[in-house]
Amino acid sequence: MFAVVIEDVTKTFRQHVAVDHLTLQVPRGSIYGFIGPNGSGKTTTLRMIMRIFYPDRGVIRVLDEPVDSAPNKRSILDRVAYLPEERGLYKQMKVREVLRFYAALKGFRRSGPDIDGWLKRMDLRAWADQKVQTLSKGMAQKVQFIATVIARPELILLDEPFSGLDPVNTEVLREAILELRRRGATIVFSTHDMSVAEELCDFLCMIYKGRKVLDGTLESIQDAYGEDTLRVQVEGSATWDNLPGVAKVTDFGRYKELRLAPQADTQVILAHLMQRGRVRHFEISRPTLHDIFVRIARPEVDAHA
Amino acid sequence: MHKIFVIATREYLAAVRTKAFFITLIIMPVLMSGSALIQWLLSDYHDTKIKKFAIVDRTPGARLYPVIEKTVQAYNEKTIDPAAGKAVLPHFDLEQVAPSANTAAALAEQRLELSERVRTGELFGFLDIEAKVLETSTGETHAQMQGIRYQSNRTTNLDFPRLIEKPLLHAIQDMRMEEMHLQVPREKIRAAMRPTPVEVMGLTSRNPVTGAIEDGALRSRIAPIVVPIGFLMLMFVVVMMTATPLMQGVVEEKMQRIAEVLLGSVRPFDLMLGKLLGMTAVSLTITTVYLGGAYGAARQYGFAEYIPSNLLAWFVVFQALAALMYGSLFIAVGAACTDMKETQNLLWPVMLLAMLPLFLMGSVLQEPNSTVAVGLSFFPFATPMLMILRQSVPPGVPTWQPMLGVGLVVLTTLLCVWAAGRIFRVGILLQGKGAKLSEMLRWIIHP
Repeated sequence: MFAVVIEDVTKTFRQHVAVDHLTLQVPRGSIYGFIGPNGSGKTTTLRMIMRIFYPDRGVIRVLDEPVDSAPNKRSILDRVAYLPEERGLYKQMKVREVLRFYAALKGFRRSGPDIDGWLKRMDLRAWADQKVQTLSKGMAQKVQFIATVIARPELILLDEPFSGLDPVNTEVLREAILELRRRGATIVFSTHDMSVAEELCDFLCMIYKGRKVLDGTLESIQDAYGEDTLRVQVEGSATWDNLPGVAKVTDFGRYKELRLAPQADTQVILAHLMQRGRVRHFEISRPTLHDIFVRIARPEVDAHA
Repeated sequence: MHKIFVIATREYLAAVRTKAFFITLIIMPVLMSGSALIQWLLSDYHDTKIKKFAIVDRTPGARLYPVIEKTVQAYNEKTIDPAAGKAVLPHFDLEQVAPSANTAAALAEQRLELSERVRTGELFGFLDIEAKVLETSTGETHAQMQGIRYQSNRTTNLDFPRLIEKPLLHAIQDMRMEEMHLQVPREKIRAAMRPTPVEVMGLTSRNPVTGAIEDGALRSRIAPIVVPIGFLMLMFVVVMMTATPLMQGVVEEKMQRIAEVLLGSVRPFDLMLGKLLGMTAVSLTITTVYLGGAYGAARQYGFAEYIPSNLLAWFVVFQALAALMYGSLFIAVGAACTDMKETQNLLWPVMLLAMLPLFLMGSVLQEPNSTVAVGLSFFPFATPMLMILRQSVPPGVPTWQPMLGVGLVVLTTLLCVWAAGRIFRVGILLQGKGAKLSEMLRWIIHP
């Protein structure tokens, strides 16, 4: 059972191919992360799922209904919620009015108790009868999130929901997303914050230049790259060039990350490092999502490394 | 349907619940009637500075000067309010100037000299009574006949010539009659010459209850013109008052990135239609207030017969259609722009259409049933305003005309709403740079 099925979808704007032969499935009840650099086609894909754009080719099925169908029962739009990356609220309206308006737009009429519940959860109860324009940016962002999920949608699409939030509010939002999944909703969100994606997502999909380059669980993605990373701490100002079997060195300050070339022998590298200084830490690990992201998004930099 | 209603309700409340709405509602009629009001208030106010006039009486023996002097004397006595002892009207001073020689050059010279004195401010103006004004020969054409001229650089203030015109005319007539040695007494001639104005009246009708024939009422010359112009202006003002904020709203929703959030819940066309219906409801609210007020005032002052109730019904129908038609055009412009400044560039064709009836108002009013006027009133963008204008000029138009007009406007409105919907769908997510007119047309054809 899939909440979203995208089959061989292509979308072109004038000359620019925004989404190129994209195929993916979002399992129901999962948290699904779209990762990828800016301009890679994440927002276009989300807009196509929302029927704001229509694909030039391919089929998109949302909650088992094809996007171009004309459903006469409860509209698909009422069962799906969308929080765009660029989002605003009517500044002149009061917080509670705005939330009631968005609930009504999705055909959810008795929204009062839900609104109170969410305002309490998000620590916004004192602001319920204030105008939106009096809210701080973080508060407004939380109100926008509530407006998105107030009508109890089955599928929730969030475009960069964490951007611009402080750590406390990020935590509140993370909790809220997990709570929504417990209630049975499917959540798809895009982000370029890899640590959030690693923590939250059951499934990940990376889009780069309109094409899917990664798809699966975090484990399966990391497994595909194998244990090709060394984390090393060496005392003194050791030199890092001309290490045999090392493809790339990334300096993280306290430690260095070395990417192994194919068939490299870690024992040989350790021996070399011991000659250059006192080795305090030597760990063979899988690449982080961040590392994988950068490797895909910056191949030209890698080529010169 | 439900979503359109939710959007329309929000739009309506957002527009109506603001202080600005109430202020505009009150200010508008004040502005419209303001200039008339100020003139009426100022009509009792007069500059009370003394005004000096020079009189050149070229008639033999200067027989007309005493007439003027007497008239002005009588007037000057009334310029001071006896109770307050204060001047309420300007005192007129006269100076008799001896006439120059009766040659063209000398006349021009003297008039220049007097004109200079007016320019320096010493005189307010001067009256030049030409020599042959009393002569009674009939052989000359009008151009050759000499008369009386009043020269001034402030010809908008005609209090002095108006004051002396009638007494002077009577005096001249008397003198001419004297010279012609008419045997008929002057009173008889006056009686024969009594002016007879043509009075404009309504039609005579038979009272259906008593069966008695009732004379048509004396018609005011003003009311039959005020009502059609009032209707037309009201429709124009209400459309502008509501369509402009509607367009601003669309641009703001784009700028504040509310539009895409809304598109997560509503289809673009439903969003646009909701906004349009909300705006139409606002315009009908304003119409109800103004029309109700105007009708109440008309009843109060006995002008109700000029506003028949079926005309009011037609007005509401046309007002609603005009709001929908022009509203959809304004929405399309708003959706194609990314800030308010850009709307100026795209709005002019719409404004031109909306103002067309204002330009044509005069000629249609004069001949409401001429072929040209009938034809223009079937041009859908002008129909609401021009048809109501023609309908409100007695005796009105045959019923099929507004019927057909409504039909054509409904078709045009549907077309506009459809086209605006296509523009809205593409434009509402457009950021950065506004669209050109050619791009908007392309969106209609290939959304």
